Order: sequence, then structure tokens, then C-alpha cells
Amino acid sequence: MTTPLVEDSTGGLKTGDTLLEVDNLIMRYKTKQGYVSAVEDVSFVLHKGEALGLVGESGCGKTSVALSLLRLQADNGEILGGEIRLGGKDLVPISEDEMRRHRWNDVSMVFQGAMNSWNPVYRVGDQIKEALDLHWPERLNRAETRQRIGDLFALVGLDSDAQDRYPHEFSGGMRQRAVIAMALSCNPQVIIADEPTTALDVIVQDQILKELKKIQADLNMSIIYISHDIAVIAEVTDRTGVMYAGKMVEFGDTGDIFSAPRHPYAWLLLSSTPSIVGPRRKLAPLEGEPPNLLDPPSGCRFNPRCPFATDQCRVEEPPLRDIGDDHQVACWNYEQVPVGITSGSVV
Amino acid sequence: MTEARVEVKDLEKRYPVQKSVFRSAKDFIHAVDGINFRIDPGESLGLVGESGCGKTTTGRMLVKLLEVTGGEVLLQDSGEVIDISHITDKDDLKRFRSDVQMIFQDPFESMNPRRTVYDTIAEPLTVQRIGTVPDREAKVAELLNLVGLTPAESFMFRFPHELSGGQRQRVAIARALIVDPTFVVADEPTSMLDVSIRISVMDLMLKLADRLNVSYLYITHDLAVARYMCDRIAVMYLGKIVELADTEDLLGHPMHPYTRALLSAVPVPDPSYQRPPVEIKGGISKSINPEPRCRFYDRCPIAREDICGVQDHPPLEEKAPNHWVACYLVDKQPA
Repeated sequence: MTTPLVEDSTGGLKTGDTLLEVDNLIMRYKTKQGYVSAVEDVSFVLHKGEALGLVGESGCGKTSVALSLLRLQADNGEILGGEIRLGGKDLVPISEDEMRRHRWNDVSMVFQGAMNSWNPVYRVGDQIKEALDLHWPERLNRAETRQRIGDLFALVGLDSDAQDRYPHEFSGGMRQRAVIAMALSCNPQVIIADEPTTALDVIVQDQILKELKKIQADLNMSIIYISHDIAVIAEVTDRTGVMYAGKMVEFGDTGDIFSAPRHPYAWLLLSSTPSIVGPRRKLAPLEGEPPNLLDPPSGCRFNPRCPFATDQCRVEEPPLRDIGDDHQVACWNYEQVPVGITSGSVV
Repeated sequence: MTEARVEVKDLEKRYPVQKSVFRSAKDFIHAVDGINFRIDPGESLGLVGESGCGKTTTGRMLVKLLEVTGGEVLLQDSGEVIDISHITDKDDLKRFRSDVQMIFQDPFESMNPRRTVYDTIAEPLTVQRIGTVPDREAKVAELLNLVGLTPAESFMFRFPHELSGGQRQRVAIARALIVDPTFVVADEPTSMLDVSIRISVMDLMLKLADRLNVSYLYITHDLAVARYMCDRIAVMYLGKIVELADTEDLLGHPMHPYTRALLSAVPVPDPSYQRPPVEIKGGISKSINPEPRCRFYDRCPIAREDICGVQDHPPLEEKAPNHWVACYLVDKQPA
């Protein structure tokens, strides 16, 4: 039996069709001090063949969203509302057993720091075999497994024989490639890549991102990139969601968001990011610190740090609304945000 | 030319690779392999490169956290020059310790969780027996104000866990500055911080450099951060400085093939920007007993066997005004 590398288990979805819909997702962590509202009313749609980015600072809830999609949030995390529909089927109410069948086969994840979590005493190939044994619909014999892992390795730019080697024989970039191969092992429709290149040097990062882009195009895969590095998001994604304090504050085409962010937070975040191209700018610092999610501020969660905040922002929470061109913003005063990254004088 | 605040001459650090307990080591890792640079008063020099290139080792040698195995580090101290790698005099050692300080990368690891902010910041004064307790308190309060942790009284007796990452890094900066150093080594001081907090910490360091005329050696892997912080940048590769120039000159007109590859690999926060292709071969080569040729030879896209393959590592030469490059082929490239 041969195992096709590209198997369309999505019932013939075409590029651009809706693959995954997240509707008003609410996930909170229960702690002794109360509920930490990590994901609050987050909605977005992922299309077939699309690369979507979730960007925000640490603690903004981007990883919590990802874990909720797989229902892998920590034990004290509860999905308190909303729907996660994969090909029309809601994953929130289904049993744990059923959920397990969707993991790896439909949605798989490249966890943050996964390249450092290889078991040092097993061969890399054997560790990927474990995923295949558990999740591949049919039982593969030895030769088939080798063949399959070899194919996967070829896909991520590794030598097929590398599967017989131990993690310590791999460089950081190779380990990350192997992690991606493992995530691809069961032909998922969606890969969630949580900070896939954060610990890598820029040259290796460039190679890995190119590889992911190529895989995405070749297999017509959907990828959700999660990163704090907005430059990485700018490079690899088609659409971007900006998160702040558990809320999606802006969502739209990556080009639109980066050329003219409409939410004050997104605008300030981009204005405070240094770059090696373009004029050398004085960057605008974002005053204050993110809120404590045990007790988020009333109204808009960004209002204590927002230069455009009004009385309305302090009381009434802005919904994520459409402002045209598939661009959504959760801000009462988005029209006041200057168009383009203009802040900061050239120095 | 003014006197350099810090001058590094043929600085070298080799680690023995012990293969057997009973035999002395024959192999050495050349972590830092004969580098030269100078830092002027009030200047900030960026040291960039990939992990393992020796940038942190260099920084640690400059603050005497590591012993130098070759070369010297000269520090200017009120008209006198101290060779800090070979200090024998106790007074010199004391002066060195108040002249040179370090800011570490991880604000979560570099602070004792059981000591208050006051204890942490005042420690250099306590250790060096400077001032009385009220003096020290006044000085700590002054520094807390300086680094923007106000009101100082409310921060002085907090513990690290009561502070955010940005606030901790400000404490680390205050601790480094309390002895009025003239030279600070900052090893990735903002890489653990979020973008929004990073800028305010970087601005703080720039402001302090201006005001107190402190010189920095700013170690980072992030070229965009180096551009923001540094007057000049030195690019390191496998223990060697391969290029050194003014920041904008280096970023705008990189000459060394490694610098070019590095710059073209940096992602840019603008989806419409097309980066040039990254021209580099293979993975990082070993730094154990490197071959006597250009360290970048195996990965270089333009290397020539008859030139680069037969000669020792090229010297760092001034190929354009204030633009130093270590490459035999640079002159021959079209400008």
C-alpha cells in the first residue's frame, strides 16, 4: 500500500472555501483568584489554502486560541462559549475520544519550543512513527512507515536517512524541520504553527519559513501562524488578526493591516517595531502595560493605554465590526487613527 | 582622535576540548579568535551575529566574567589606561569594577527573588563599601527616578515577582548604573521583552548614554534593534569580526558576503517589501581547530579556491572610509 502524501480528506474543498470557523469563542482559566479571561469573544474564518496570522504580545491569548482549537488548553482552561466548526462540524461539544481522532488527522500543531522537546534517547524517526501509529487510520508496516517518514522528510528538506539519527545529531533548524514533518505526518488540513522560528537564527528562520510557504502551496494547506514577531507575520501570511488582552482587535488582509492599521493598538504596535529597511525612525513607545486579565478594564480593554480613548471607550466595549474590504476593527474611534505608519520622526 | 574608552586588541578565547581525563587537551574551540575594536566615550557599538559566533563570550571577557586567553582589553580611566585582562593591582581592580558594568539578557533570571529592589540595586555599593546607608538610599531613589520607576518609594521595597518584565529590566539598568560606570556591556537586554515595552527600555538606555556619557557594547542578534541603538555595528562570524562600520553605512552598503546574507534574511514588517535572496551555503561550520583559511569559506557564495582557500583568514581592512571588512574578494566586487 502506498500512502499518498496529499490526501484530500476535506470532501473536495477548493482553495478559498471556508475550512475552519471560530465563532465567539470564550476560553477562561480558572484560578484561585477567579477567572482569567484569556480568549474573549474571538471569531475568525480560515479558508482552504490560506495562511492566517495571529499576532500580539505575550499574554494576549494567541496561544490560548490555538490550544482551544485543538481543545488542548491547560486543565484549568474552560471553553465557556462559542463554536469551533471544522468543515461545518462543531468541535466544542464532541467527546474527548472523538476529538482525539481530529487531532493530527485534521488539525495538527507545531508547538512553541517543540524542537527542544525531542526525546534524546529515541531516534527521530521512531518518535514520528509514534504519531503515525496512534493517528494514521491504517496500520503501516515497517517499510511503509519508513517510506512515509522519508517522504515527509523530503518535503521539509531533510535527508530520508536522517530518521535513523538521534536529536542531538540535529542542528536547531533540522530539529524544527523534523517537528514540521511530524505535524504533517497524518495529512492534516490545518497546521497551527506557534512561534515556529522564534528560537532560530535569522538565516535558518528564513529557510524554515520558505519551506513552510512551499509546503503550504504544494499541499494546498491552511496554516495558522502565531507569533509575537510582526515582521514574520508580514512575510508569510495572507490575512492577519491582531490580538490584545484576549480580544481580537483587528482582522483583515495582511497588506491592508500593515499599510494602514486601523486599531490604535495595531497602529502603535507597528509604529514601535524597528526595521532594517526604510528611513531610521524614532519609534513611538506604547505607554503602560497590558491589563491584568483577572480583572480586565471595563469598556475597551485597550482604553487605559489608548491615545484616542473617549468616555465611551471606558464604558462600552467596541464590537469587531466590518469597515469594508473584509477589514474588521474593534474600535469606536478608528477613523481618528492616522492612516499609515507615520508616527515618529525620521532621525 | 580622542582617546578610546575601551580598546580591544587581538582578544582571544579558546576552550580546551577534553577528550580524555588523563591527557591535556589538544583541540580547542576558538570562541573568540583575535578581534580588535575600540569604543569611544558615549559611543554605542553593536555586536551582532548568529548564536555561537562568540558575541556573548566577547562581552563576558570585557567584564571579566571570563578569563582572557590571549590579547588585551584596555580601559581608559581618568587619563590612565588599565589593561583589564591582566589586572594585578587591587586598586585597579576596584576602579575597573566601578567603571564597567553589565546588563544581562533575562530579567527573570538575573535577580535574586528574595531580595528587594533596593537590595538588588544597592548591592554594588554595599560590596564596594561606598557611602553610608542613607547615602545609598538616596542614590537608589535617584536611580529609580532616572529609569522611570516612580514614585521611587513605592518600588524600593518590592520583590522581583511584583514587577513586570519591563520593570525588572529597568531595575537591572539601575543596578548597572549605580556605580557611575563609564562602560556598560548589555547582552540582549531587550530580547525577552515585548515590542511595546522594548522601545521604552531602548529609549531609556539611549537617553542615559546621552546624559551620563556612558559607552555601550550592545550585544544582539536582532539587526533592527542594533540599528536603533548603535552608532556602529560589528558583525561576528565564528569568533572573527568580519565587518565593522557605521550603522547606516553597514546596513545600506554591506560589503562582506556574510553580512549581505544576514541582512537579506531579516524579515521586514512590510508585506510589500521583497527581500533579496539569501545567498549562503550549508550550515554553520565548526569552531574546533578551524582550518587556516577564511572562516566563512565553506558557506561563502563567492569564495574562490585559489584565493580564499589557500590563505589564512583575511585581515580586517579599511575598504572604504570607516568601513572595515575581512574579505579578500571585496575590492573586486562591483560597487
